[in-house]
Amino acid sequence: MPLLTDEVRKHIGAESAPFPACDPVEKGAVRRYAQAIMDPDPAYASDEAGARYGGAVAPPLYPAFMFRTPFGEPDVLTERAHDPDFDGLVMGVRDGLPELPLHGFALLNGGAEVEFYRYARHGETVLQKSRYADIYERETRAGPMVFVIIETEYTNGAGELLMRARKTIIRRK
Amino acid sequence: MARVNFEDVEIGQEIGPLLKGPLTTPHLMRWSAAMENWHKIHYDERFAKEHDKLPGLLINGSLKQQFIVQLLKDWAGREGWVWKVNFQFRAMNIVGETLSVWAKVRGKREAPAYGLVELDLGIRNEKGLESTPGSAVVALPYRGRAAVPYPFVPPPAG
Repeated sequence: MPLLTDEVRKHIGAESAPFPACDPVEKGAVRRYAQAIMDPDPAYASDEAGARYGGAVAPPLYPAFMFRTPFGEPDVLTERAHDPDFDGLVMGVRDGLPELPLHGFALLNGGAEVEFYRYARHGETVLQKSRYADIYERETRAGPMVFVIIETEYTNGAGELLMRARKTIIRRK
Repeated sequence: MARVNFEDVEIGQEIGPLLKGPLTTPHLMRWSAAMENWHKIHYDERFAKEHDKLPGLLINGSLKQQFIVQLLKDWAGREGWVWKVNFQFRAMNIVGETLSVWAKVRGKREAPAYGLVELDLGIRNEKGLESTPGSAVVALPYRGRAAVPYPFVPPPAG
């Protein structure tokens, strides 16, 4: 029986309206992120070192990681605390796309193609617009898997393009 | 960060490696916390093995891609620009491994305002396993000329 049902496939082309990350680029959040990736680039903390970019900036991929759970949203970790299949991911909030009906499927990051145009500066708002570009099933050495392709465009509050990403998410039983 | 001119780059030239690790459970926890992503396969060993049938706690693909971008960004310097990067997470890296991020110049082409360098890249662990094949396009300034424009403006032909 194929993993990919029409109920899943009908999400191809589904798009989110552009929406802002819940917080702007925050100095402290940038510090924790830069320390976690172990990249001590001084442009992440100093306007002087980031002068080329108009001031202190976030690491290049940072916009893709800004879409956290907004304050006041239901707590998914508590709601699903008794679900043995809950993998800890809180997907729907992060890209604005409807969750695919693939309950109990493992989720693996397959990779991405990214294009950079400018870095997000401290204090800037970042918006994203995402779409399910494709969803298909493929037989692999480890069995059948569902490949979900998500295209996302990230802009700042002035509407200037920061980066584009085409991500591959792999779902399997 | 030193300026790298397009003319000084040779095909076959190797960039890096950038070493990261050994990557321990606290490293993965710190990254999960920094991005507020609670995916259990990076800290809940029982869930990783028993539910998701994985060999152990996985080093986040989201963390590995940061290392690739860092290598390229630091090489391009302030006056260059990392335009395109792609990578595929083909094999798993397990907690405890040390990752060696590498890139190698595959080709060069000239655009009006800057040169474009095409690179192959990857992440190798101590055992020589290549987990993350990919490629990149980096813009570098011509010798004696202005830095690559910021914000980046793609070349006319795309």
